[in-house]
Amino acid sequence: MYGWIWRHLPGNTWVKALISMVLVLAVVFVLFQYVFPWAEPLLPFNDVTVDEGMAAL
Amino acid sequence: MTATGTDEESDRSAPPPSPPRRVRRTIASVVSVIGELLITAGLILGLFVAYSLWWTNVLADREAHKQSDQVRRHWASSGPKGPGALDIKDGIGFLHVPAMDNGEVLVKKGTSTEVLNEGVAGYYTKPVKSALPQDKKGNFTLAAHRDGHGAKFHNIDKLKDGDPIVFETKDTWFVYKVFAVLPETSKYNVDVLNKVPKESGKHKAGRYITLTTCTPVYTSTFRYIVWGELERTEKVDADRTPPAELR
Repeated sequence: MYGWIWRHLPGNTWVKALISMVLVLAVVFVLFQYVFPWAEPLLPFNDVTVDEGMAAL
Repeated sequence: MTATGTDEESDRSAPPPSPPRRVRRTIASVVSVIGELLITAGLILGLFVAYSLWWTNVLADREAHKQSDQVRRHWASSGPKGPGALDIKDGIGFLHVPAMDNGEVLVKKGTSTEVLNEGVAGYYTKPVKSALPQDKKGNFTLAAHRDGHGAKFHNIDKLKDGDPIVFETKDTWFVYKVFAVLPETSKYNVDVLNKVPKESGKHKAGRYITLTTCTPVYTSTFRYIVWGELERTEKVDADRTPPAELR
């Protein structure tokens, strides 16, 4: 998969390395900016309040 | 090596790969793609840990500083006007807990995720409505994050009986003393927020404060509760000299 991407990047090794860096940073940005903020409330790690849940019904 | 030997070898590799070899190559590439996907998944999970334990703190602290400055500026610009000093929208005041060693925590209305993610503590509006510190009787109930998003109550386990919890409003210091701790309770235990929280050992109405957050650290299986009772109040002077507990 990554080998395939590497072979399809244009330019010599240095240009490829540079483009790869930019791609990696772009992926990290999208994860931090959009994916993680969306995923976090769905995961049970950070609920801090006491709440009326099943037990209180 | 003889010439015949090389001829034989090149002869053998010359024809296109036989079906079994092609199958093997396909399997190998499928396995390598799966492997790369697993490595990627591992990296993403690692990044998620960095996001929740570090980056959300950066964002929340930035937001909390901005809002705290706003409140302080608002207090400074609006003259002494008696009880109207509480500003519900921006935040009602600051919580100082020396034992938690985390400076001042802005307190705002509500305990929704949006509010708490700003790196502040929120007072409950539901399921049990919180009293405010200046109310004659009642329980001032707060929640804040244990980890990430400012992690304002991270060190809640450092609080022991007798430790001061100081709440600062525009014109009053409310000095509470911790009298009971519940290190682990169900997340559905809303009784801890009651006007008179029975589990703390109190049976009469009084001026209480309740801090709630999740426990154990990095998870939210249970809730950690700390109760305090108002010891005294102090008028804020012109220099905003903090009470003895904070000096």
